Amino acid sequence: MTPIHFSILLFFIGLYGVVNKNNLIKKIIGLTILNGSTVLFFISIGYFENGIAPIFQKDMLKNPVPVMVNPVPQALMLTAIVIGVSVTALALALIVKIYEEYKNLDIQQLSKE
Amino acid sequence: MKNHLPILIIIFPLVIAFLILFLKKYSVQLSLTGIFASLFLLLRLTSEILNGNTIAYHLGGWEGPMGITLVIDGLSFYFSFLVLCAGIYIIFYSLYEEKYSSSYYFFLLLSISSMLGVIFTGDIFNMYIFYELLTISTYLLIAYLKKGKSLKASFNYLIMGGVGLSFFLLGVGFLYALFGFLDIALIAENFLDIYLVHREMLMVSFALMVIGIGIKVALFPLHGWLPDAHSLAPSSVSALLSGITVKIGIYCLIRILYGIFSLEKYFFRRTGQIFLILGSVTLLFGATMALAQIDLKRLLAFSTINQIGIIMIGFGIGTKAGITGALFHILNHAILKISLFFCAGIIIKKTGSRLLQDLKGFGRREPFIVLSFTIASMGMIGIPSVNGFISKFIICSAAIEAGFPLIVVIILIASVITAAYYFKIIVLFFDSSETSVKITKPSGKEMTSLRIIFGYWPVYALTGVSVFLGIFPTFGINLLEPAVKLILSNFVP
Repeated sequence: MTPIHFSILLFFIGLYGVVNKNNLIKKIIGLTILNGSTVLFFISIGYFENGIAPIFQKDMLKNPVPVMVNPVPQALMLTAIVIGVSVTALALALIVKIYEEYKNLDIQQLSKE
Repeated sequence: MKNHLPILIIIFPLVIAFLILFLKKYSVQLSLTGIFASLFLLLRLTSEILNGNTIAYHLGGWEGPMGITLVIDGLSFYFSFLVLCAGIYIIFYSLYEEKYSSSYYFFLLLSISSMLGVIFTGDIFNMYIFYELLTISTYLLIAYLKKGKSLKASFNYLIMGGVGLSFFLLGVGFLYALFGFLDIALIAENFLDIYLVHREMLMVSFALMVIGIGIKVALFPLHGWLPDAHSLAPSSVSALLSGITVKIGIYCLIRILYGIFSLEKYFFRRTGQIFLILGSVTLLFGATMALAQIDLKRLLAFSTINQIGIIMIGFGIGTKAGITGALFHILNHAILKISLFFCAGIIIKKTGSRLLQDLKGFGRREPFIVLSFTIASMGMIGIPSVNGFISKFIICSAAIEAGFPLIVVIILIASVITAAYYFKIIVLFFDSSETSVKITKPSGKEMTSLRIIFGYWPVYALTGVSVFLGIFPTFGINLLEPAVKLILSNFVP
């Protein structure tokens, strides 16, 4: 199983969590897994077998240039992770407010009120 | 200065947003300054854009596949003009709505600036980033009053929006895996090479991205969050969401459909028909559900779903007339729906109730607001002399030309249903059977006359604009002509 397949599997696990769970916190956990799976997907696109960290060093030009992993997806995912964290933080803050208001975190019962 | 215009247009509202957050004073004046400055800078480009030129700006001077490009062409000019004008109206109206603190204006400016970012960017990952920024600020604006059902609505939107954008990001990942760069124009140029080899992968990527944006646009099976979010937010925020934020999703859809996956050239020739069907279902569903509502703002929210259906039908037809009609309907719907939500806000503030049955006899108290409401709803129905008629007419005639007479029947049926629910409200306004209108004073202090003026003039101005565009539609159509040309040329230079 390559990391790409695993990330797709994680994507569906996260989707299951968001769709099927009734507890708001569990939904957010699902959303986080969903986000993490896309991060893993991007990182594994840029990964090569035996690739080294993409840091340029002086002696690299003389020897045969070693295989480096692609740094662009890593840079992209840094941004995506930050955004994912802020969405999670916002969601948890909303959950606190919802709990203060309704004393309840079950979406089925919340939607009745 | 002239060379850096594209980035300055985005940066101005952003910088002023943070200035407001730290100064905590003069929020209104500063935010108006920011938006007017952006609008002024944008209008400096008018002649160049209307001549059909495209302005590309490379961030930090990095060109090619490595850097991020900002592109102002006919399409992005049209949408950014819409966003900035709507932003000015919404800030003026917010003055009437409530005495909002500086954080409200911060989020408002942040959302406007990120909308401009989504519009201008030529890089698909950057589009995702700005879209996330936009939605984070809208979650906060929906739940701004921090009480009651608006929290649930905001949370619901957050879950749906988060899933949608994850789908979009995964689609972007597939594109990156296939192409190795993220620049929209470059992807479109090299599309054919990849298409011949990896057809299925491109299809997966296409489906993921369309599902992701479909949640944001509230296409029929993915609309669940919209009625709550749009109806439970403060009225000024509802106007922002229904008027322009949903349109940003449509803009992304246009970029993806016609920019990357060049609808006309390749295997997606039949995609148009998918959008015709989805649009028709969305249209009928929105109209029927709106008929059943008893809450004024919820009715308007379902009416938004209804009108989005019409816009999608226009793009689904895909001919020149169809796209012109759809783009023109985006402008018209923005004008009409913003004015309707402002009216609804004023009505709710005056009567203290959101339910339709409490509106009886309101027409006698505020005849001018009711007149504006009537004109705007005439536009939604598509009665001649108001702008909504023109765009619906263009879409209908495009459907006949392209050989879809059934679509015209569906649009007409939906228009009849639309007429039914809007006339239901208008009849209630003039119902004199009971004078049951509770004269509730607005909570707290007496309103100053200045604030009342700020509440009313945006409504009158928008009504004026909609009638003007209804009588002289060429002004609107001239504005979107470069955009239509661009879409039909598939963006590839």
